[in-house]
Parts: sequence; C-alpha cells; structure tokens
Amino acid sequence: MRKLTTDVVVIGGGSTGIGVLRDCAMRGYRTILVDRADLAQGTSGRFHGLLHSGGRYVVSDPESARECAQENAILTRIQPDAVECTGGLFVVTEQDDPEFGDKFLAGAGATQVPVEEISVSRALAREPRLNPSITRAFLVQDGTVDGWQLAWTATQSAVQYGGQALTYHKVNQVHHANGAVTGVSCTDLKTGEEVQIECSFVLNCAGPWAGQITHMAGLPPVAVVPGRGIMIAMSHRIVNTVINRCIYPADGDILVPVHTVCIIGTTDVKVADPDHLEIPREEVQQMLDSGEELIPGFRQARALHAWAGARPLIQDDRVAASDTRHMSRGMAVIDHLERDNLKGLITIGGGKLTTYRLMAEHIVNAMEEQLETSHPCRTAEEICPGNEPGHNYMITHRLKDREADRMTSPIICECELMNREMFTTLLKEHPHASFDDLRRQLRVGMGPCQGGFCSSRVAGIAHEEGVIDAARATGLLKLFLEHRWIGVWPILHGDQVRQVALDDWMLHGTLDISHVPSPAQVETDPVDGSHTGDDPPAAIRKPVSTMTASHAATGQQRRSALRPEETR
Amino acid sequence: MTDTVVIGSGLAGLVAAIRLALGGQQVTLLTFGTGGTQLGQGTIDVLGYTSDDPDDPSVHWPFDELPRYAGAHPRHPYARLSADQVRRAVDWLATLVPDLLIPGDGRNHVVPTAVGAMRPTYLVQPSMVWPDPTSVAVVGPRQIKDFYPEMTAANLEKTAEVTATGYHIDLPTRRGEAESAPVVYATALDDEQFRLGFATEVARVIGDEEVVCLPAILGLKADTSWRIAKIIGRPVVETLMPPPSIPGMRLNEALLAIAKEAGVRLITGSKVVGFEGASGQVTAVTLRQAGRDQAYPANSFVYAGGGFESGSLSMDSYGEVTETLFGLPLPGADQPRLITGNYWKDQKLFSLGVDVDKTMRPVNATGQAIYNNLYAVGGLLAGAIRWTEKSGDAIAVASAVQASDSIVGKETNV
Repeated sequence: MRKLTTDVVVIGGGSTGIGVLRDCAMRGYRTILVDRADLAQGTSGRFHGLLHSGGRYVVSDPESARECAQENAILTRIQPDAVECTGGLFVVTEQDDPEFGDKFLAGAGATQVPVEEISVSRALAREPRLNPSITRAFLVQDGTVDGWQLAWTATQSAVQYGGQALTYHKVNQVHHANGAVTGVSCTDLKTGEEVQIECSFVLNCAGPWAGQITHMAGLPPVAVVPGRGIMIAMSHRIVNTVINRCIYPADGDILVPVHTVCIIGTTDVKVADPDHLEIPREEVQQMLDSGEELIPGFRQARALHAWAGARPLIQDDRVAASDTRHMSRGMAVIDHLERDNLKGLITIGGGKLTTYRLMAEHIVNAMEEQLETSHPCRTAEEICPGNEPGHNYMITHRLKDREADRMTSPIICECELMNREMFTTLLKEHPHASFDDLRRQLRVGMGPCQGGFCSSRVAGIAHEEGVIDAARATGLLKLFLEHRWIGVWPILHGDQVRQVALDDWMLHGTLDISHVPSPAQVETDPVDGSHTGDDPPAAIRKPVSTMTASHAATGQQRRSALRPEETR
Repeated sequence: MTDTVVIGSGLAGLVAAIRLALGGQQVTLLTFGTGGTQLGQGTIDVLGYTSDDPDDPSVHWPFDELPRYAGAHPRHPYARLSADQVRRAVDWLATLVPDLLIPGDGRNHVVPTAVGAMRPTYLVQPSMVWPDPTSVAVVGPRQIKDFYPEMTAANLEKTAEVTATGYHIDLPTRRGEAESAPVVYATALDDEQFRLGFATEVARVIGDEEVVCLPAILGLKADTSWRIAKIIGRPVVETLMPPPSIPGMRLNEALLAIAKEAGVRLITGSKVVGFEGASGQVTAVTLRQAGRDQAYPANSFVYAGGGFESGSLSMDSYGEVTETLFGLPLPGADQPRLITGNYWKDQKLFSLGVDVDKTMRPVNATGQAIYNNLYAVGGLLAGAIRWTEKSGDAIAVASAVQASDSIVGKETNV
C-alpha cells in the first residue's frame, strides 16, 4: 500500500477537475488529482470541439454568453496550442425562423459578444460548401479546442506548481471523521496497488459520475442525470469555419472543423448510466439530416467515427435555490457542509468546457470560503507550459513539422502525420499507457483509415523500444482495433465501407491478426465499454421525410425536458 | 470487334481476360484502377479457415474440405463451383506463371506474416516456402516501417513453434532516408550492387539460425529472393506485409504481361458507369472517358468489379446496399444486423453479393439468369467472407475460368 499526504484531493480528470487542480496548485495548496481513467477520457474528450464565442447563448442565456466571450479570449491566450481560431458563422436556413436573426443581433449587442452580419455571398465565398439557400449569416469569434491538449497542458502547468495527477486511480472510499473529510482511498488500476491519500479537502469534479463519489462518502444520494449527446467526425475539413444554425439551441445545430475532420453535433437524451452510452442509428440519421441542411451533399461525405458523451447535469433538491454566489452558468456547486453538515467536501456538476477555467476559479473560491482564507486566482494570467504565446494551433502545423524532420523519423500515422519519435517520446513518459491513451495526445489512428495502417506499426514500435513485451503489444493492438470499431460500426456507410473492407483485408486477410495469440485481457477499461455488443442497429430504412419529421418532434420534447439552461 | 468485354483488372478480371483470349476471343478489358492483386498477399488462397470448428479452424487439405464447406454454406461461391473445378482452375493459373507460383499438391502451405501469424494459403511464390525449421532469424531494415522483426519473432515462437530472434539492419536505399516505400526497396534489391550489400549485412547480423525471414520486399523480379538466399547461404522466407504488396505486384505484372501478349485490349483509367440492354441481353457498357461517354458493345460481358472494397457494392447512408453498375439483386441485403459491434465477428454485410448460376450468370430470386450474356466473377459473388476464410483468390480464379469457359463453349456450340 502507498500512502500520500496532501491538502486537497480533486476527484475527476476532466476539464473541471484539471482546472481546479491547476488553480489550487497555483494558490499554494498541495493538490492531488485522481481519475479512474486517463485525463479527459470522459465528457471532456467526448464533445464536438467548439470553443464558444458566446453566440450560441446570446438569446437563450445572456450571462453564459458573456462568460463564454471572456473565457474564449483567455483560453486562446493561455493555451494557444489547444485552440484554433477558426471563426464561426451563424446561418439562417430556409427552415429557420427568419426573425431569430434580429433577436440574435440584439442579444449580441446586449452581451458584448462580437457579431457582424455579413452578406450571404460573403459567407458563401468563405465557406463554398454552405447551403446557398441560407438567408442570413453572422460572423462570430468561435474557435475550436482540443480537449485532450487543453487537459494535458493545464495539468503540466499544475505540475509546475507541485500539483500531481494520478490517472487510472479509482476511488473506492471518501473517508471522514467527526464531521470532516480525512482522506480518500483508491486503487491504482495499472498495478493493483492500494493508495491511501490523507487530505482535509475533497473537490468532487467527477461530472456524470459525481453521484457515485458522494455515495462513496456515505452521503444521501446526489441526483445526477447524464445527458447523452452523439457526435460524428466527417473526413476532411468540409468547412474551415464553425457553422452554427442561427436558432434557439437545438439538436444537430453545429458543424465544427477540428484538426483534420469536421464534427457534427449533437443530441441530448437522458440516460441512466454514463458508462454505457449508445450511438443509436436514429440519432445518427438525425445528425446526417441536419448536416444535409447546412451542407448539401453531406450524406455523401465520408463519416469516419462517432462517439457519445455524457453531460454532467446535477439535479439536487438540497441545494438552496438562492445560493448562486459560487455558480457559473450551467454549473451546480453543492457544498456538503451546508447540505450534509460534512466539512471539506464540495461537489460540482454541469458546466461547459469553454468556461472550465472560470468554473475552477469559482470552485476554489468556494473551498477557500469554507476554509475562511483567500488567495488570488492567477490562472488567467499565466500561459500553460509548452505553449508559445500567440501561436495558436493551425491545421498545417504538423505538415510543417514533418517536412522539417522527415529525414530523421518515419511517419507512422500518415492520416494524422504522427512520426515515430512523437510516439516513442510519449510512450516512454507513459510506459503503462494503452494505445488509446497515447492516441488521445497524438491523434494516431483517428484519421480516415481508423488505425488500419498505423495500429500494427505502433504495436511493433512499442515492443521494439523495449517498453512492453510482445504479448502485451499484440493485446493492446487488438484492444485498439476493438475500440476504434466502437465508433465506426454505428455510422458505417458510403466510402468508409470501402475503407473497412480494405482494413479487414489487410489486418485479417493478409496479416491474419486474429490467429496471433494474446492475453485474454490486457487492460481494465472503465469508460470505453460504450457499446460493444451484438445489439442490432434499429431499423434505418426509413424514408428521409418521415425521419426528419418524427425527429423534429421528439427533439423538441427532449430539449424542453433536458437542456441544462432550461431545467436549472 | 470485341467479343467479350471484361470489367475490372483484379485477379478475376485478368484471369478471365487471359482465358477468353487464349480461347480465341477478342477481349477488351476496361478498368478504372490497377486492380486489387497488388493489395493482397500475392499467394493463391483456396480455403484457409472454416469457422465451423472453433478448436481447429485451420484447413490443411482445402479440396477435401470444399464439398462439405459448400454443403454447409449453400450461398457460397464454392456451392456453385465443384472442388474439382476450383482445383483445375488454380492448377491452370500455376502453369501460366511457373516462375511465380509453385504447383500445388493439394495441401495448404503456411506463410509467416508481419505480426507473427502463420497464415494458411494454397499456392505460394518460391520466396515463401516455409521449410519447417526449428530456428529462424527475422531481419528487417529500419527503413521499412511495416516490419518490426522483434515482435514478429516473438509471436512466431508461439505460432510456428520455433525459436526466433529479431534483428535489424540499417540500410537506406538512398542516403539519409528515414523510411523507404516497399516498392523503392524492392526495386533497389533488384539491383545487383545493392542486393549484395543487403544480403551481406543480413548475413553479418544473424546468428546460426536455420532460416531467415525477411519482409516481403524482395524484389519485383521473381528471382531476387533466390539470389539473396544464395548470398546469405541459408533459405529465405518472405514475410507477408500490408499493402502495397510486392508479391502481389509480381503476380499482377506477370498476368498483365500475359494478357497483353494474348492480345487483350486494355483500357485503363476510365470507369464503366452504365450499360445498355434489352430483353434479357446486355448490348453495351458505357465508359466515362475524358470529354464523353463511350459505348463498348460486345457479345458477352464479364463483370469483375470486386466487392465493397472497390465500390462495386455499396451501402448508402440510409443503409441501402446496392450493386452499383447493373443494379443486380443482392440476396439478404434487407436483413437486419448486417453490421454489429463485435469487431472479431464476421460482419454479414461483407458476405453480401451477387448470386449466380453454374455458368456464373447473375440470377434473380427464382434462379433465372437476369441477362443471358452477363457473367459476374470474383469479389462480387455472394456468400464468402474472403479475408477470414482465406478464400478470395481461388473464388476469383475459378469463377473467372468458369465464366470464360461458358462464354467460349457457348460460342463454339453456336
């Protein structure tokens, strides 16, 4: 058993937890973050990649809009390498309420979110694939953000201030005595070792899993209602600007260019278990219909991969309705001293990635209020390590890098331009990592071939470098392919069927991978068990017209029942 | 005047074109790409695994197994072709390219693959004969990024029951290069000077192992691997790699040369986009060429367009599965669960295809030929998941031979 002592334990390695880790560490608290999986493996890695300009909320939630606009500018400055300044467009299609555009402009003025109405022809010149029948277009400062990059560079900043992040550490119990938190016990899932962390404060940032943590503290249940949203990555940059439907926030209203792909999102459906998120065929069809309305021919474009994320909505009767002091919009803070008479535990729910830094600031303020102390928050001032000031991500960066080093290191993943050196460097920093863990930082296997060519290479390299043995390399290779398939099969159609046939031909036909022995299980994998069964896809042979109509109706119901900003 | 138009230049298309031309036909071969032979492994599979016996799925004597397998899989192409037909077809292919394919003796070979599997197949190239050693050296150049000798060796110890050791050599084909394309490396090895340096370096790094496994990049010429083995002084075995496949290119080049020699007219780089037909007869196919569509009339048509991988079969975003050129029926295409979430299970989608009669003419639900002069061969055919069974090559060859013989026989009879 390992024993650690610290001031604060942060549970949850999503953007909120990482923001809190960094803020606590910068304010001088000894802080340890634990997560049962990898950093940003949950909701923070399963979204559409939008860095909000605030435009989305100027009508529905002006305060949110203001916060987004401010935080967008801050993140673009402090984590430039995670942010691409794509700009965004809000477009009014023929199906949309033409008057919403006026409300949109008025709301933008009131919230000081920069918006400029541009002519339809200018919008089409900027994004030629856009539906030419749009009636109005507004330019905003949307960006796109890589949740994993954001998580890792913020963590590195925290580490510089003495913070620690323990990934694959599963919390088993939150201990308290005499009405105050005394520590947390966990299991290191990679080694099986028990880890006891003594602390006086626990910040529960477990998002959709926050209820499980309060249960481990023996407290009355906190009601968490995960809202599932699906996203589909389309091959290539169909657009280079974020495209929003200029409507009241709804399903399937956004197309986001991120790295080498475009992501369409999303839906919002109440689910029971955030560990089992389906990607239902009906919702896929709904996304493709929405895409078609923004980009004619969208259904003929190549869909690469789909995923589902769980929104961390907390509904708790015991939170005093008047207590909004510590809240960012869309965020719920439960101080368990007030709720359960337990000192040293605060649970956080809700929120959005764009405002993660601000939320963290509010949460640490709440902690300091309970501790009756105060330190200034400096997270907005300092640039995270590894980032060059003013040097925001551009899609061409990797091409430039590979052109510079192509004579020294072979390109292992051609789709995402990852070379051998990038892989081996990270692998040696994380020798226990699965190939999925490495993928989240390197993007290996995330392009059009979905691991068909690169997966057997990374297995060979990991073994050749002496980091893992051949059995584990083979096992991780198979696990990686299984995991890629989770996101491929629910959306498989069109040109991607050709790719899958080629991948199967290579991996199964030529290499005969399924007849290479490997350990029965190489990895415990708490999150990625999304949907691996044999369940049939729901009937999908419906004509388009009925599909659109029925989904429009159910979509409406879902929104009124589940949108965080409306239920709060 | 063209007697027969063949569409597609994969293994099935090339074999059909050659067989027809040797049978006296004027043949025009229309092809959009370069054909799938260069993506495959460059051997001829007949049947490598059956999923029917999970304990021992390997097939050792494929022609003995075929009648039973066909009986258990009534939609399978092997239910349309007798074991004897299949065997005669692949034997004939071996006689066409005697430098490249070793005649079969009825028993499957096993060949090592880059991930360390021992993969069953029927006809192998001379560079792939596994001499059943007790020890092997696996050697790869650092410049070849699809081959990691240590991992191959470690897995071969289990799959081939040998002692195996991985070794690297560091030998760029061009100075300072971090990676070489397999084609570049193979071309370099065809050169005597480079080959000598390569083989000398391999001989220097290895121990006293009986056999040397090298990546399947040993020259575009058929005798390069033999020359390398001679310098090293030990048997050499080519280890199968992901595409582009050098052994596949050898086979493709050889068959293409035979087709040209036999008088096949080859039109490449243009896609067949439509057809003209009337009362159960195809009269012409339409080729989309620069500037215009051109009709290619013929007496018979052999459709060797391949399966899903080549786009002849396609599934749209609503899940509708179609054959994209003639709109041929695909039995079972409307069943549920064509794709499931289990990565290791065969996806039914990939067993969909065109059902044919014994002469390889596509048939409707009642078993009647849809066009009396249209034949479908190769990857288009229903009922097989080629990459898990290891069956695609012989299906291609045997169906192409059968279609061609039906055409030649029919016209002879007339």
